[in-house]
This record gives sequence, C-alpha cells and structure tokens, in this order.
Amino acid sequence: MKISVAGLNIFTIAIFIFFQRCTTGPQSGNNHHDSTVHIRIKALQGLRYNVVRFKVQPGADVKVTLTNMDDMDHNLVFTKPGKRKDVLGSAMQLGTKGPEMHYVPASSNVLWHITTLKPGDSQSITFTAPEKKGTYPYVCTYPGHGLTMYGVMYVTDKVLPPLKNDPNVPNTGKNPMAAHVHGSEKQQLHPYHLAAPYLIRTFMPGCGPAAIAVSLPDSLSYCWDAGSCSLRYAWTGAFLKKADLWQRKGNEVAQIAGSLFFKTRVNYPLRIGSKKNKPDVKFKGYHLVNQYPEFHYQMNGLDVYELIKSRPDGSGIDCHFRIPEANKPMEYIIAPANKEIIDASAGKRVNSALEFSAEQAHHFTISIIKKTT
Amino acid sequence: MKKVLIFMMLGLAFSGCNNQVNEQGSPYRVTDISLPEGLGGQVGGLAFLPDGRLAACFSSGEVMFYDPKKQTWHLYATGLHDPLGILAISKDTVVVMQRPELTRIIDNNNDGKADEYQTLTDDFGISGNYHEFAYGPVRDKAGNLYIALNAASPNGGVMKEVRGKLNPLTMDHPKEMYSPVPYRGWVMKYTFDGKLLPYASGFRSPNGLLIDTSDNLYVTDNQGDWVPTSTLYLVKKNHFYGHPASLVWKKNWRNGNPYKLPVCRLDSMRTKAIVLFPQGIIASSPSQPVIDYTHGQFGPFAGQIFVGEMDIPRIVRVMTEEINGHLQGACTPFLDGDSLHKGNNRLAFAPDGSLWVGQNDHGWAGHRGIQRISFTGKTPLDILRMHLTATGFDLTFTLPLHGDGITDVKHYKLRHYNYHYSSKYGSDLFHVKDVPITSIRISADHKTVSLKLDTIVPEMIYELTLSNIRSEHDEVLKQKIICYTVNQLNPKQD
Repeated sequence: MKISVAGLNIFTIAIFIFFQRCTTGPQSGNNHHDSTVHIRIKALQGLRYNVVRFKVQPGADVKVTLTNMDDMDHNLVFTKPGKRKDVLGSAMQLGTKGPEMHYVPASSNVLWHITTLKPGDSQSITFTAPEKKGTYPYVCTYPGHGLTMYGVMYVTDKVLPPLKNDPNVPNTGKNPMAAHVHGSEKQQLHPYHLAAPYLIRTFMPGCGPAAIAVSLPDSLSYCWDAGSCSLRYAWTGAFLKKADLWQRKGNEVAQIAGSLFFKTRVNYPLRIGSKKNKPDVKFKGYHLVNQYPEFHYQMNGLDVYELIKSRPDGSGIDCHFRIPEANKPMEYIIAPANKEIIDASAGKRVNSALEFSAEQAHHFTISIIKKTT
Repeated sequence: MKKVLIFMMLGLAFSGCNNQVNEQGSPYRVTDISLPEGLGGQVGGLAFLPDGRLAACFSSGEVMFYDPKKQTWHLYATGLHDPLGILAISKDTVVVMQRPELTRIIDNNNDGKADEYQTLTDDFGISGNYHEFAYGPVRDKAGNLYIALNAASPNGGVMKEVRGKLNPLTMDHPKEMYSPVPYRGWVMKYTFDGKLLPYASGFRSPNGLLIDTSDNLYVTDNQGDWVPTSTLYLVKKNHFYGHPASLVWKKNWRNGNPYKLPVCRLDSMRTKAIVLFPQGIIASSPSQPVIDYTHGQFGPFAGQIFVGEMDIPRIVRVMTEEINGHLQGACTPFLDGDSLHKGNNRLAFAPDGSLWVGQNDHGWAGHRGIQRISFTGKTPLDILRMHLTATGFDLTFTLPLHGDGITDVKHYKLRHYNYHYSSKYGSDLFHVKDVPITSIRISADHKTVSLKLDTIVPEMIYELTLSNIRSEHDEVLKQKIICYTVNQLNPKQD
C-alpha cells in the first residue's frame, strides 16, 4: 500500500534477526582470539541504537561500526562500568567546546568513542576488550540523547540475563514496536473515555493523507477522505491499531483493527445533471451532530453535507446526504464491484448509478450493508 | 451523549499542582503544571484566551483549556491530526494548525465543547511524509495569518496518494530534505479574505513563528542540510532563505532541479539569518520564538525574544538591534536546567507575565508536559544588551558590576567563526580564531563594559565567554556565553 511502510516492516524484521544474532553472539564460540569480533550498530529514529547489548570474551579484539540511519547527528562513547551517567554529565559541561570535541569529554571514564556522525555516515573503531569482566556501557553523548540512547557491552563468558530483565539496556530496546489499540483498555491514550461515535484524524491505509477515521456504535467504523471528499471504506470489529503516530516520528500509518466490509471503487460518487465528469470538490470541515460528524464540502460550488451512521439494526452504515441548494438532477455512481450498496432512500437505479431528481437530491440516504456470511 | 460529556468533564475536574521551587532567591521559578491523567502531554501549541485561561493543543489530537486559578482542565476539542499551533480567538473559538489544514474550531451551543470544525484552508500539499509538519498560525495587525510548512525528510517516502501535484524534481537526493508537493518549505500567508498565498521560500524545518507589534515576521529553522546551524530569520515577502527544495514551487521557476544549481548561486539568492544559534553551543533544535511584552512582569528583558530549545533543558534569549539599516543581534542561554525540562516546543506569555512552556518529543529528543516560568522579582545578573559598535562591543548588564578587575582582559574570552552553507548536514566551524581585545572600559554607572577590538570581520559569529563577573552586591553571572551574529558592520562612531 505504501512503499515506505512496507520498507519499515522489512527493516524491523532485519533488525530483529540481527539483534538475535548479536545477543546470542556467534563470538561465544571457541577461537575468539583468532579473529576480530565485528559489531555493527545503527543509530535509529527515536533516539535508540538497534543493538542494545552484545557480548565479547575478555581480551577479545573488537571492531564496532556505527552507521547513522537517523535524521540527526549521533556519536557512540564506551565508558568504564557504571560511568555512563557521569560521562553524560561531563559531556553536558563542555559548553562551547562541545561541537569540536564531538561531545566526548576528556575523562578517564571514557574508554573508546566514535565521533559525531551526520545522517547517513558510518565510522568504525577497533579495540581490545578489557580483561576485567563486567558491563561496559555505550551511550550517545550528543546533547539530549543519552537518557534513552545507550546500550551495553558484556565482557563475560557467561550467558546473558533475559533481555526483558536486563537493567543495563533502555526500555526502548526491550519492546521497540509495542502496539497500541485505540478504543481498547490496553493503554489509555487520551485523558477521557472514548465512546463511539468519535473521530480521529490520522494517516490511514488506502486513503489520501487527509484521512478521517470514525468509530460508530455497533462496532462499525469508516474512513472518510477529506481530500477526495468521499467515503473510502468501512469495517466491522475494533477501531484502530497504532493510531498514536504522535508517540513516534510517524513514518507509518494507522491500521484498521477489524475487517473491511466495504471499499469504494469509485473515485468520487456524485455527478451533477447529465455531466459524466467528476466535479471539483473542496473540503470545508465538519459539524458534530450528537457527536456524529456531518462533513461539509463544496461540489462545483454547491454545498454538500454527508453524515454517516450505523444502520438501526447494526447491519451496516447509512450515508445521509444533504444538498440543500440542488437545482439539477444528480447521479450517485456505484461501481459494479460494490455490491454492498444495495439500498437508497430515493432515486432510481439505472445500470451502475442511482438517479435523483433535483428535489430528491435535497436529502437522500445511501445504505451500505455487510454481507451476512 | 450528554452523559458522556459530563463524564469527561468530571474526569478532568480534579487536578492538583506540584510546585517545584528553585533554590531560595532565584530570579525565576519553574513550576510543573499537572496534566489530567491519561494525557500524554506532547504539546503542539499554547495560547491564552481573552478570559485568562490557557488553550493547549496536544499531538494526540486534543485541545484543552486550563484555568490557572482553579487549576482545572477542561476538554474542548478532540481528534485533530498532529496539531502544532493554536491561536486563541475567544472563549468559544480557537484556530489550530493541524497537519492537513488550518481549522477554526467553534463551540456554537455554548456547552463548553467544540461542535464545529471549519476548514479555513487546505490549499497546500501533503505527501504523507512523516516530516511534513505544519506550524503556526501567527496573526498580523490586519488579521492575516502566517503558517509554515516543513519540507519532507529523505528518511521517509511519500504515500501512493498525495494531496497536491507531485513534483519529483527534488525527490532523488538521498540526504536532502525535499519538496514533493506544493509549498513544502514555504511560509504561507492566509489572507483575511480567505486565500492562501505563498509568502517566502527556503525553509527546512521551521518549527517556530512570531509576529511582533510592528508586524515583523520571525521564523526559526533547524540545523541540517543547507542549514549549517540553526537560525532566526526576519521573513519578508518573496525572499528565499536558503533551503533549495522549496524553489520548485516558485512562480515561473524554470531552473529545473534547484539542487543542481551552483552553491554560489543559491548562496547569492538567499537572505541570511538575523541571528545564528551556534549548534551545540546555544541551541541544537530551536522552536517557537515569543516576544516579552510584559513590561517588566517577566524581569528586565522587555522587548526581547525568547526561543524554546528541544534537545537540552534550555530557553534561549535573543536581543536584536538595527545596524546599518538591518536587524541583527545576539543570543545567549536564558534558563538552563534546574527544574526546566528539555523538549521546549511551545511558549506563551500569560496575562500575569509568566512564561508557559509546552514540551514535546515526537520521537526526537524532548520531554512531555507544561511548565510555568515566573519572575520572582529578584533581578538576575545578566547581559541585558550586546551592542556592536564601530570598534567592538558594548555589553550592558542588568545590574551594576563589581569594579574589582572588571576591565581585566582575562575575564573576556572572545573568538569568531562561521559556518559553511552547503548540502551537507550541518557544518564544521570555519575561520575559528581567538580575537584579541585591545582595551576594556567600564561606564560610570558600572553597567556597561566596552570591548575594543583591532578589527571586526563581517559574516562572522563573535562568541564571548565571560568569567568571574559579579555584581556590586556579589551576584554571580550565571549565563557566561553570548554569541553575536555580525552580518553588518556598524559604520557609526559612537
């Protein structure tokens, strides 16, 4: 549906696989002194490293490569055990010297570091792991980043503790892609109880970027496009997943949490008079009528209002149109594939359209009904 | 439906206020404002209603009102798409900039909750790229509004369906922000008669607009490609401010891909910042500028500009002056750390003269919540003004200085440097040079120190670090770094 989103998912899987490799560690095998252990770390969006911990044997030759995949600068500084916060504090004190020193303080607590990398840049360092076993933190000391952007190098020959109980890694590394379901009790995302009907404007799949998602009673929901000024699709079941894009940078879209029962095949359904061309539409906003949004737009300058409700028996949705100034007959086009549209309050079905007189166009309802299977 | 509303309001009615008082005798006090339970608290906009209540919009889509007297929150509107700016019109009308549109939100039936969302304008493109934030609005005296549209990030793509005509010219540059749909990277003017017009181009991530009482429009921009260090611009109609992507939407643009123009040509086209914020020294990610019209209620800096900073717990102070017919000036940290959080995204002065700060992170460095900064009445020892003279700088302090050693050059470390304008993300420091101070004088009232230099080089930042400066009553100068952007030399012999 959206290239970047598909890319993100593959990327996430790749991180996961890589992460597994690092945490279990191929370097835990024998002959570790024979070759350099190469750890590849990426700086990612959301102030985090993709690798939040790795294990090496005491005295191992280690190569660490940092690649900055984010859209701002990052570095990576290894510190002595327990000195991550001290080093962060010293970095903050660098004042005007910070940028030139890559925010790496001249401190005996700093062991090795990778300098400030611009987006897309990469740098490697090599060092010999300490003979002294312990947990050696690494952290981004760029101002403001270090409270969440860190990880740990275990110098040990023992098995690491379970990731979720590891006090040396940030929470973002433990559960980076937690899903939040809107309208469920799992996580409260707003300071009030959400009871249908309500709407959320967010990026939605299969819609233009000015999307409006509406939750209706009877576990019905729909997506209305403020760009094309039309209903795009409707679903049944839970409302949305991952609609809280604001928690992150938002390089993604929300997901519908139920199953689709209607998806329009028509670019925009209304036609004025005998004209077959799509009219120009211009979104004007919406008005809440008992909390239901009644959308308002102009179609070739003519005011159109659309209010969508659950059908009284919950079998689907009713789209109530008002065109108070209509003075010409109208057509509502139905794509042959859209067999869900089975009813209208007025008008005459002619092939793939409903025809309304000017009078009928003042107020009519299109019903979309779920298949009973 | 009514039941739901009552439930909501009850749920919000209780809320306390945790006072975090700074050390005794501090000039400024930072107080946390309690948020209703369940509110993430990523602040997109702050403004005060005529009745004295705070109107705040949050990235999670709410507009909420806060009564500072009763310390209660009230839910006004919901469901907005990543709102990043709010203008308070009246107790029943606000205008909000959300990602897809500028919206007037009205409570018609006076039940305290908005029921009408009027689209004032959506006449700009959105590609679905995550970085296409929309900022503003600010209003001039005639009632025109100004908004700013962030460029798209090369770390994200565009949706299959976009709003507006897609222009692929700038999209094939893996490290540069781009402008896939109309007016990305522009400041736009929404006229009082309802038209959205392109106003100025060349912006990258302009997360902060301000209009002063003389209708000067100021905009901040964030360091990155083509923005070697973060900026404060004085924005004028039809000017270009340096980020090339936006140029594809310039009327009658016939120069193809703006990234392929020689850098020297782009450099000659651009209007430079009136104040540069040295990266990592003064600011890393500046946000909204606000001007102090409190006439002393907020301390001695009346008429100066305060700017939020996202990456570190800081508010920056900017002082400008007209030199040779052009505005330029200096910046210095105003408040650093203590109880202040980072992520200072939005600022608004309250009717009582306190400065309210809304925090945000949105996946970057930052914080969440609202804090109030109030002046305790104790004047801080600080640099009130830094003035460029024909031969150096005059520093005027808020308090008379202690005379001991005040004219000793060892207390004043001055260097200059500048940054290189290019497609590269950020810039190293260039022309870094320690600048010798040849003589130092102090005024009879002990408030102004004049630094004399051999030469002053234009298009340089002069960074001054002070040490061991104290007032005659032994207050210590806390903010020791100030950076003056010299665009113009002062021809006047003072």
